[in-house]
Amino acid sequence: MATAQPLYVLPGDTIDPSLIPTHKKLPLRLGPGLRHIPPSAIVPTVAGQLVADHKKNSMWVEYNGGRYIPAPNDLVIGQIQRSAADFYFMNLTPFTSNATLPQLAFEGATKKNRPQLASGALVYARVVLANRHMDPELECVSSSTGKAEGLGPLTGGMAFDVSLGLARRLLMARSREEGKVEILELLGAEGLAFETAVGRNGKVWVGSDSAKTIILVGRALRETDDGKLDVDQQKKLAKRLIREMK
Amino acid sequence: MAASTEPEAALSVLPRADGSATYAHAGYTVMGSVNGPIEASRRDEHPYEAHVDVIVRPAAGVGGTRERHLESILQSSLSQLILVKNFPRQLIQIVLQIEATPENDYVNTKLVQASLNFPVVPALLQTAILALLSAAVPMRETAASTVVAVVPQGAKRLLVDPVPRDLEAAHSVHVLAFTSQDELLLAESEGDFTVKEWDEVYEAAKEICCRPRTLDEENDVGPDLRHFLRTTLEEKVAEDLYWK
Repeated sequence: MATAQPLYVLPGDTIDPSLIPTHKKLPLRLGPGLRHIPPSAIVPTVAGQLVADHKKNSMWVEYNGGRYIPAPNDLVIGQIQRSAADFYFMNLTPFTSNATLPQLAFEGATKKNRPQLASGALVYARVVLANRHMDPELECVSSSTGKAEGLGPLTGGMAFDVSLGLARRLLMARSREEGKVEILELLGAEGLAFETAVGRNGKVWVGSDSAKTIILVGRALRETDDGKLDVDQQKKLAKRLIREMK
Repeated sequence: MAASTEPEAALSVLPRADGSATYAHAGYTVMGSVNGPIEASRRDEHPYEAHVDVIVRPAAGVGGTRERHLESILQSSLSQLILVKNFPRQLIQIVLQIEATPENDYVNTKLVQASLNFPVVPALLQTAILALLSAAVPMRETAASTVVAVVPQGAKRLLVDPVPRDLEAAHSVHVLAFTSQDELLLAESEGDFTVKEWDEVYEAAKEICCRPRTLDEENDVGPDLRHFLRTTLEEKVAEDLYWK
């Protein structure tokens, strides 16, 4: 997937046409950090590493940092700000305008029977609509199956802030091989019982029966993030934290 | 003589801001932070584009008319670079704190505020661009900026990044900025000058902002700003993507 020589781009750079993947059937998909100027120019808008996937015929710019900008189908952790007649107003990142979550967008919710969430409650949701002229809209139920699929209110536990890059790595299908983040598996293997939910907006929720475990997992994630730890260092960190806890 | 030292920069120095940078060059040190896109106040809201809010804070004292002037110059330049149409009704806030200004070795200045506005503009603009890149705010392109002074006598009539002593003797001072596509982004002038002089200034500034520097060159016109920006960002991105 990654090219042998990482290619770094700045906004406004011209991309060599040989780097743009071509495919017989699939249309070219542009990921974050790129924009298409008709008719044929593709220009980066952020500083990062240009990555192309020839199998899926897609390309994007990999970067870390900045503020979360909602995109459709992202999984996010939001905090309920207030409740209106039909909507909850949710906060995804500080100081941004609220996202809306319809009160009926929960599994099995009806007009009579809908979840009552107080302000401050955490909700794991999917972004349905992210349009620059409108506030983002969220849902906690898959519109095709009608099932929650793991989404919904997060009760107990605690949410920790991580960088957008770590959140993206944790959400990878194979976070250990591709994202090189193994700390959660390591702590689980040491016998800690906890559950996590990762929001693309840089929030990780950790739930467990014991408050000690929640703090430990949260600290481990923060240290992995701040210290930019690789897999070996993560192993050492997990061992040290377990030893300190006992 | 012009201070032809290499610029220095550090990215993402502030942990709470979305993006931040410090930049030091030609005696000026500036720290900048960027937050955005965030919710704009009702007064600043624009239905079709993001409002770019620039706040310049001097090294000592509170800002005055001088800083408001710098802010208006920077605001119009940066709005050209940022993809403001992508974030209607939002706000992108840029705070620039001047930390150090070059001292005039010949005169005792009590006040730390600069007597001329323009020499600080390149440092402010570079800091703002570095901080915006650190905050991953979508941008059309990047830019580089420089100050050129026209002095009355001497072998070199045009001085790049002049020191305060030269500025006192200068007939005119010009600040120019060029985008990464070699387009003129900003041109502000102060003092008496002819059209011919301005053309010379334009060429000299374009040389610094746009042309890649070769190693064997002896005439030190100034640092290669574009190369500097690229290497700084490459270092930062490589560090962020250590797991790749």
